[in-house]
Amino acid sequence: MLAWNTGSIRRKLMLSVAAGVLTVSGYAQAEETLKLGALGVMSGPFAGWGGVMCQTFKSRAGMWNDDGGVKIGDKTYKIDVVCVDDKADPKGAQTGAEKLISDGIKYIQGPNTDSTAESAKTVMEANKAINMPYAFSKSLYTPPASQSILGMVASYQVGPIIYKWLMDNKGIKKIAFLCENNADPLNQRNEGSAAAKGLGLEVVSDQETYESGTTDFFPVLTKVIGTSPDHIVLSGVNPSDVGPLIKAARELGFTGTMSTETGQDPKAIYEVAGEAANGFIVAGGASTEEIRSDFMVKFIERYTKDWGEWNDVAGLFVYGPEIMVQTLQKAGPAALEDTEAFKAALDGFVGTNPFLKDGGELKYVGRKDYGQPRQVSVPIVVQAVKDGQYEPLFVGALND
Amino acid sequence: MAGGSSHSIAKPIALGVLIALGYFIAVPLLSGGSGYVLNVVTTMAAVSFISFGVWLTFAIGRINLAQAGFALIGAYVTAISVAHLGLSFWVALPLSGLVAAIIGGLIGWPVLRLKGVYFAMITLCITEACRLTALSFPGITRGAQGMVDLPLPGDLSLFGLVIIPAFEKGARLPFFYLAGTLMMLGLLFMWLLDTSRVGAVFRSLRQNEDLASSLGINVAKYRVVAFMVACFYAGVGGGFFAALQQNVYPTSFQVIDSVYFMVYCFVGGLEFVIGPLIGALVMMTSFELLHEFQRYQTVIYSGLMILCILLMPNGILSVVRRRSSKAKGANNA
Amino acid sequence: MTQVLLNALVVGTTYALIALGITIIFSIMKVVNFAHGQLYMIGGFVVYYFNVVFGLPFWFGLLMSFLIVGALGVVMELFLFRPVMLRVKREEVTMLLAMGTAVFLESLALIVFGEKQRGVPPIATGIFELFGARLPTGRVVVIFIAAALIIALMAFIGYTKTGRALRAMAQDREATALQGVNLKWLSAMGFGLGTGLAGLAGGLLVAIFAVHTGAGTAVSIKAFLMIMIGGAGVLSGAILGGFVLGVLESVGYALLPGSMTFLVIFLIVIGFLIVRPNGIMGKPWG
Repeated sequence: MLAWNTGSIRRKLMLSVAAGVLTVSGYAQAEETLKLGALGVMSGPFAGWGGVMCQTFKSRAGMWNDDGGVKIGDKTYKIDVVCVDDKADPKGAQTGAEKLISDGIKYIQGPNTDSTAESAKTVMEANKAINMPYAFSKSLYTPPASQSILGMVASYQVGPIIYKWLMDNKGIKKIAFLCENNADPLNQRNEGSAAAKGLGLEVVSDQETYESGTTDFFPVLTKVIGTSPDHIVLSGVNPSDVGPLIKAARELGFTGTMSTETGQDPKAIYEVAGEAANGFIVAGGASTEEIRSDFMVKFIERYTKDWGEWNDVAGLFVYGPEIMVQTLQKAGPAALEDTEAFKAALDGFVGTNPFLKDGGELKYVGRKDYGQPRQVSVPIVVQAVKDGQYEPLFVGALND
Repeated sequence: MAGGSSHSIAKPIALGVLIALGYFIAVPLLSGGSGYVLNVVTTMAAVSFISFGVWLTFAIGRINLAQAGFALIGAYVTAISVAHLGLSFWVALPLSGLVAAIIGGLIGWPVLRLKGVYFAMITLCITEACRLTALSFPGITRGAQGMVDLPLPGDLSLFGLVIIPAFEKGARLPFFYLAGTLMMLGLLFMWLLDTSRVGAVFRSLRQNEDLASSLGINVAKYRVVAFMVACFYAGVGGGFFAALQQNVYPTSFQVIDSVYFMVYCFVGGLEFVIGPLIGALVMMTSFELLHEFQRYQTVIYSGLMILCILLMPNGILSVVRRRSSKAKGANNA
Repeated sequence: MTQVLLNALVVGTTYALIALGITIIFSIMKVVNFAHGQLYMIGGFVVYYFNVVFGLPFWFGLLMSFLIVGALGVVMELFLFRPVMLRVKREEVTMLLAMGTAVFLESLALIVFGEKQRGVPPIATGIFELFGARLPTGRVVVIFIAAALIIALMAFIGYTKTGRALRAMAQDREATALQGVNLKWLSAMGFGLGTGLAGLAGGLLVAIFAVHTGAGTAVSIKAFLMIMIGGAGVLSGAILGGFVLGVLESVGYALLPGSMTFLVIFLIVIGFLIVRPNGIMGKPWG
């Protein structure tokens, strides 16, 4: 910003270029910076979650900044994203949350697992910072907790929708669940299994698990397929295990359908499993060619330019920054100082979804599951892998 | 072994007082109440407390990778005690250490016959087995769902006199002081142990168990005692973290934690009681300082760790001591 | 049950290949290479890059995985482990050094290779049916290559001059040096051979499984289990340990609820080592 010494010159100039200044001043004022955070696992076996989350946030921020910044109230801000790696360690999550907050950050995307999100919660609640975990533990979102907003569709919400669709369209009757022997996947399996039973499906196997880092899935799948299910659910599966699991199941002669409720990259699955990957059903993401908007295409280009290769999971994570910033704009400058203003805005917030061709609304939901609006209304896009791409099966919406 | 133990006790005591003053007075003043700094220092203190146990097992010549497993046991004991049994945190914390020590004694008795890499790897298996046990028995541990929303420590009163007030939600200083107290007590006990006759026996075990045995020392008993003390430290430390994070999951302490506890001992220097503390201080501070490098953080951090081992294979303190003894030699000459 | 046994055979052979490399390094250097799994992972990526990205034949990628990861091992020995081993008071430091290297390689790989899991096109298609059990042809090919590699390695160690020198060095370094053997190059070469085998295992197995940058630690832990069962530092023990773990894993998954399998395996290994502290074939240590 330039400092004019003489008031008259300033006034004269303002008058003469009144219209033109609007854009220029918008740009000049964007020297103000709004710091936002990403806290998640960015190294080790689960780097596929937090690493992509951080990269997504940075790319989206880059697009905002290229457009001149984000206008909140009267001011325009450049977005600066600070990523902190919690190493999937609850100690690291707590320290990382403190670190972001000490940088003056009040809005944070992540963490990515139950244990890190629960640990970060103590810091978030005490410091009135808002965070957007990708973890399904209900105590994060139910009162008295109030600072966490679930950034995606929970497996227990999307599971029944997929199973119902499969019953109606593929006539499945017997279902099996398989997951990694780890906290988050086991929880998702238990809830998925309960939901399937509720729908009247016969659950033939829901006790089989494999260890993190398994290379050969033949042994465990042999037993699962031995129960002759029509459908196998891979609950909370780590992106790195999907391809090998599908491949092994097909090689063992399994001909039924398979699905997972967490976001996955179709290209990576196809590369490992080949033809066997076709028909694999995945919920999440919104970057499928048929349904994505031009804006999503632009985002994909940006992400690819920044990080070398597109990852479909980014199509899910990008909803976080989007709704975060839209809500900040709606809640106004007060929310930059105090997250109470942000939380007050959650209930009535209706934003626009720029990522889908058909547009639609972005809202906060979860009143039924959590008793308060603490979930982002990411559209439930159920899709199947087809030759390294996704083809959408149907799009659903979350309950309020 | 213990920084100049043979000469006098004045120096170590002065050092201890200096650390205590630095921790309890300088850090809170200098940090300006920054939650971040306090949290890092709190974590560092509690982690070095746990690492003292690993250090002790090193002292008897064993590479202990089971420490995270016993910390997990301690964390669950604290969580179950305060959430299900309604015990006070101040009872649960020592109880966690005790339970971990007893389990450690039972497992340690046979396992301590192993040496070298076998012991290292079997203890690694123990850490994994603890995680899998926590997952496999949801009736006790709530399994994968984890134990969440644990109550904060209440007040500790004796004969109606409040010694420690109840911890308030969001207050960082109580945990900071608790971690510091644990660290100082842990250090003091380690130092007393190391300079005592028992400490000398432990060292003789490391150098030659057969010789110690021929001198009439009950080798099996001593090494189990050392291992149980180590497990006690792990249990108490684990209980502390359960209270700090207000939750426990089977993944709260994993093999990688065991590895880092060991790293802190090495980086500080295995021949110094204070080694784990220095190691944790240096390593954790450098990790935090490297946040600036974002996605290169871990690469640079591990690169520094390798460099540290290359340049100071016997730990940071060994270099400090060499310097000071050189200076002393120059003075005498 | 046939399927379970076939699974055990496949898993066992691949495990044996993984265990051999770590055992060679341990026997000659007394270093437990915690970075073994990470080297395995790099081997997988080397094959992926040559085969998929550069479009060269699979066997060429496999050769490169051995050479590149082997060269990496030589560098590690010359510039990391040797200088440290010369100066330390406690030999446990090498274990720490290996752990540091593991973290370093893993985080570097994440930056270079990205977070996605990778696979190569199948090297053979079709499936054998054997008494109702299914065995994909790709697995058969991999098993035969793995078995051939294991035999070739045993022959190399057993009958060549270098192999004999390596064995001699594993038994007694000083005596070997007195025989006029250049220990410096021999131990670097032995280390390189061990890591090269890790790379080869990773490169070979990427053909039937897949690889991602975080895969290393789990592979290392399994390798430790195998050498503990078989006996540290003994090649035949490594092979045996690999097969025993393969059988335990396959049979365990078939009979037990999934989450119990590895808990039981860990408890069995702990119990077994208490009874037999040096594994099945191992020598007393320390």
